[in-house]
Amino acid sequence: MLDTIATVTGNRPLTGGHLILSVLSPEQAQAARPGQFAMIRILGHSDVLLRRPMSIYDLRPGDNGDGEQAKPAELDFLYKVVGRGTAMMAALKPGDEVGLLAPLGHGFFAEDYLAEARAADEVLHVAGGIGIAALLLPARELAAAGVQQRLFFGGRTDADLVGVNEFQPYVAETLLATENGTLGHRGYVTGTLESYLKSQPGKRLLILACGPWGMLEATVALARRYGQRCLVSMENRMGCALGVCLGCSIRVRGEGHAAYERVCTEGPVFWSEHVVWGADQLPKT
Amino acid sequence: MKMANGKIQMANGSEHPTLRPELGEQQSAIDNRQSTISNPEPPIDVTIAGVHFQNPVLTASGTFGYGQEFAKVIDLNRLGGICVKGISADPMPGNPPPRIYETDAGMLNAIGLQNVGAKRFLEEKLPFLRTLKARCVVNVFGYSTEDYVRCIETLNAGDGIDAYELNISCPNTRCGGIVYGSDPKLTEEVVAASKRAARFPLFVKLSPNVTDITVFARAAHDGGADALTLVNTFVGMSIDIETRAPRISNVTAGLSGPAIKPLAVRLVHQAARAVRIPIIGIGGIASPEDAIEFLIAGACAIQVGTANFYAPETPIRVADGISDYCRRHRIRLDQLVGSLKLPGTDSAPAKEG
Ligand SMILES: Cc1cc2nc3c(=O)[nH]c(=O)nc-3n(C[C@H](O)[C@H](O)[C@H](O)COP(=O)(O)OP(=O)(O)OC[C@H]3O[C@@H](n4cnc5c(N)ncnc54)[C@H](O)[C@@H]3O)c2cc1C
Ligand SMILES: Cc1cc2nc3c(=O)[nH]c(=O)nc-3n(C[C@H](O)[C@H](O)[C@H](O)COP(=O)(O)O)c2cc1C
Ligand code: FES
Repeated sequence: MLDTIATVTGNRPLTGGHLILSVLSPEQAQAARPGQFAMIRILGHSDVLLRRPMSIYDLRPGDNGDGEQAKPAELDFLYKVVGRGTAMMAALKPGDEVGLLAPLGHGFFAEDYLAEARAADEVLHVAGGIGIAALLLPARELAAAGVQQRLFFGGRTDADLVGVNEFQPYVAETLLATENGTLGHRGYVTGTLESYLKSQPGKRLLILACGPWGMLEATVALARRYGQRCLVSMENRMGCALGVCLGCSIRVRGEGHAAYERVCTEGPVFWSEHVVWGADQLPKT
Repeated sequence: MKMANGKIQMANGSEHPTLRPELGEQQSAIDNRQSTISNPEPPIDVTIAGVHFQNPVLTASGTFGYGQEFAKVIDLNRLGGICVKGISADPMPGNPPPRIYETDAGMLNAIGLQNVGAKRFLEEKLPFLRTLKARCVVNVFGYSTEDYVRCIETLNAGDGIDAYELNISCPNTRCGGIVYGSDPKLTEEVVAASKRAARFPLFVKLSPNVTDITVFARAAHDGGADALTLVNTFVGMSIDIETRAPRISNVTAGLSGPAIKPLAVRLVHQAARAVRIPIIGIGGIASPEDAIEFLIAGACAIQVGTANFYAPETPIRVADGISDYCRRHRIRLDQLVGSLKLPGTDSAPAKEG
C-alpha cells in the first residue's frame, strides 16, 4: 500500500451519471490485486474532507507501454456520481492531480479464495449497479486460469448497466436485469440468478457478489438455499481505510471484541456466512 | 515554568529528556550533531511532566490506531508522540454501524471505544511502539473509577509507555467517561485515584461539552493531573431527512475536524489561564498555522486527529511548519506558547489567570 499524488489521464463519461477515472501510478497499479480498492482524495478542497473508497476497476499499461506485455501503469475507477465527493471527481480533467492511497484490503483471491474458485465448476459474478466495478479484474484473472464464468448484472434502468462489454471476453454468458425492464429481464438480478441456480442441480458453483446491501443479502440467501458458497465485497462508510478509525466495522460471526471486523482491512471481501445479515446490521451508506 | 535554556520545564518534570535506554545512543548522537551544525533548525522539543518529546506534535487517540498502521505511509520517528486508541481494562466490541458520517468540514463518530484491552495491548501493540523515537502515550478509558484503576494497574507493567492520557470525555458510550467529564467532583475523584495508581505521568483529556471548562481544568489539576489534553469531540447529531433516522446508530456522535477548531482554541485559551499545568491542544488541526494558533493560545504541544485519516503526512508537515515559523519569527517554542496578545495589552499576558 502506497500513499501518492497521481496524475489524472482521463475521466470518461458513460451513461447514467457514471464515469471512468484513469490515473497514472505504475507502482500502485502493479501492486493491485483483483477486488482491492483505493482511497481517492480530492486535493485542495476542504469541503470534502475524507477520501472516497473506490474499487480498482481495471489496470492498464500506460500510454508509453508497448502493448499487451507491458506492466500495468494506469488504474481505472468506474464510479457513479452520488454526492459531493463523486461530483468533484467528475470535474477532474487530464493533468489534474489526486491523492491515491492504494491498493487496499483483501481482494477476491486472497487466502483460500482462488483455490475455491478453481475447484468450482463455474464462477457466477453477481453485480448490482456500481458493484460491477469490483468484478472485472477477478473475471479476467479467473479467465486466465481457465475458470468458466457467468455474469448476472442488475440495475434500475439500462443506463445503470455500464461496462458490460468489457466482461465479454471472460464470461460464457451475461444475464442482465433492470427494474424498469428497459434492458434484459424485468426485475432484480436475484431473479435471474435464482432461475439459473435452480437449473444447475449438483453443480459446484462459487458466487462473487458486489452491490447494495439489499441485493447482497438476497444473493446470500439464495446461495444458502442452493447450497453454494458466496464471497461478498462489502461497502461501508470509510474514514481512514488504514484500519484505525474503526468507522467501517461490520457485524460478523464472533462474540465480544470479535463481533466486528473492518471492511477496509479484514475486507472488503468476506465469505458470506461470516457476515451477520439483517436490516439492523445495515451499514446505511 | 519557562526556563531560559529554551526547553520548557513542565510541572513536576525535569527539563532533561529521560532517554529510553535502547535509544540512548541514537538520541545523544543526534544531540551532538545538532550542537555542531552551524545553523541548526531551532529546537522545538518540549518536556511535559518529565516526558521529553522531540517536537510538540502528537497524533490523537482513536485516529492513529496503535501506530504501526501508519508505518507504511509516514516516518513514525518524526512524530513527537503517539496517543494510542483508548484502552480499557477488558476488550470492547464497540457500537453497531453506521459509526461515522462526514459533515461540513468535519465528521461525526460513535465508534464506542472498540479496543483490544490492556493485556493484549501490552503483548501485541507495545513492543512495536517501544522501538520508536515518538513517545508512547496510552489513552485509558473506563466505566467506573475501579475500571480506570484496574486498566492502569495492568498497563503499569508496560515498558515503553511514557505517559497515560485519561479519557474522561468520550461522548459515545452510554455510561462511559462522559459522566466523569461532566461532574467536577467525579473528575477530581477519578483523576486522584488514577494518579495514585499510575506509574507514569498522567495527562487528563477533558470534555468540551461543559458550560465552564475552567471548573473541570481546576478539578483535574486538584486531582493531581500532570497535564491536560483538550479537547475531545463535541457531541453532535445528523439526521437523514429521507428516512428521518439518525445517520449514526448511536443517535448522537462526536464531532471532530476543522469545523471544531475555533471552539477548541477558545477552550485551550480559557483553560491555560485557569491552571498552571501544561496543556496539550487538539481540535481540527490540519496545518502548521492551525497548530500555532493553539500554541499561542497556551498549549505547549498539540495533537493531530481527523486529519490523519485523509492526510497522514499532516503531523510531520505541522512539526516542520512550527520549526519554520520559529525560525522566521526568531522565537523559541517556549516563548511562543501562551504568547497571545490580547487587545489593549502591549505584550503577552502572564500565563496564570
Ligand atoms: C470498498 C468500497 C469500494 C467502492 N467502490 C466503488 C466504485 O468502484 N464505484 C463507485 O461509484 N462507488 C464505489 N463505492 C462507493 C463510494 O465510495 C461512494 O459512492 C462515495 O464515497 C460517495 O461519496 P460522495 O461524496 O459522492 O457522497 P456523499 O453522500 O456526499 O458522501 C458522504 C459520506 O458517505 C460516504 N459514503 C456514501 N456512500 C457510500 C458508499 N456507498 N460506500 C462507502 N461510503 C459511502 C462517503 O465516503 C462520505 O464519507 C465503494 C465503496 C467502498 C466501501
Ligand atoms: C474516529 C475517532 C475515534 C476517536 N477515539 C478516541 C479515543 O479512543 N479516545 C479519545 O480520547 N479520543 C478519541 N477521539 C477524539 C480525538 O482524539 C480528538 O480529541 C478529536 O477528534 C478532536 O481532534 P481532531 O478534530 O483533530 O480530530 C476519536 C476521534 C475520532 C474521529
Ligand atoms: S475505514 Fe477506518 S478502520 Fe476502516
